[in-house]
Amino acid sequence: MTFVFLDNFSHWLEATALSRVIVQTQWTWPICETLHFIGLALLIGTVGLADLRMLGMARAVHFEGLHRLIRWGIAGFVICVITGTVFFIGAPFQYVHNVIFQLKLLFILLAGINALVFEFKVLPTMGNLGPGEAAPPAAKVIAASSLFLWVGVMFLGRMLPFLGEAF
Amino acid sequence: VDFLQLIEQSGLGTWVRESPSVMAYPTFLFLHTLGLGLLVGTSAAMSLRVLGFGRQMSLAPLEKFMPVLWLGFLITAVSGVVIWTADASTFTFNPLFWIKLGAIALAMASVRLLRASVFGKSAVDPPTATARVLAVGLLALWTIAMTSGRLTAYIGR
Repeated sequence: MTFVFLDNFSHWLEATALSRVIVQTQWTWPICETLHFIGLALLIGTVGLADLRMLGMARAVHFEGLHRLIRWGIAGFVICVITGTVFFIGAPFQYVHNVIFQLKLLFILLAGINALVFEFKVLPTMGNLGPGEAAPPAAKVIAASSLFLWVGVMFLGRMLPFLGEAF
Repeated sequence: VDFLQLIEQSGLGTWVRESPSVMAYPTFLFLHTLGLGLLVGTSAAMSLRVLGFGRQMSLAPLEKFMPVLWLGFLITAVSGVVIWTADASTFTFNPLFWIKLGAIALAMASVRLLRASVFGKSAVDPPTATARVLAVGLLALWTIAMTSGRLTAYIGR
């Protein structure tokens, strides 16, 4: 039932003028891929360093500063979502039945929930770690999960053309 | 040219290019992406702090994250060489590939200068105008390196 809907939706999407522009113009796909990688670097750079700080690296760094930089990571994530949507509109059938793509979306969802739990449950009780202050165990679990999930998202994304036959 | 063909036909080059295993080409592409994320991501975070974002933390302790940047560079460089062996002549004759390598060389030189400027003995916080220029230059150079790298998959193939 769900798959029939997804198929119909994908057929409709593929026939839109926007979809054809994305696939038929020479530059749209490469430019969006480049932006996708720039977004990825901003996300993993800012979120990754904050995670590493909570896990005990560079303890002299005030966590509040790293936390502020995550705004740039969120901007990077938004760039990835927008360009990712462009890919999906351009070639929906590369993705709808692709198990690797579904796993990637699941990992992104889990990473998002993980980030929200950190922001609204863990951070308020932890407060901002000053120089030298160690993160509580709950924050360490969140940080380790975040690193695992985002690296997983990158792995699954990179595997799309090989394990899931997308390009 | 003969030398490049020798590399392509070597055991490593052939395996990376032709093995159906996920451990071959796909894994090195993933490692290249992971390394890029660590290298460019850490560079970007440091540059942003130099430019005045995240001022709540002082600049000097960020030096402790330099190993992340170097690890990213190492992973990207090693996986990059392996990917190159699979199609050595195609990459080598692609001008974009040389733009990419040039941008990386300048970016790594900027990293060293920036490091001396903001983590060195005479470092000051807020950073000097020179350090800010270096930070902007570093961000621009990584953008050029990533763009030309991504485009080698489309142009000159």
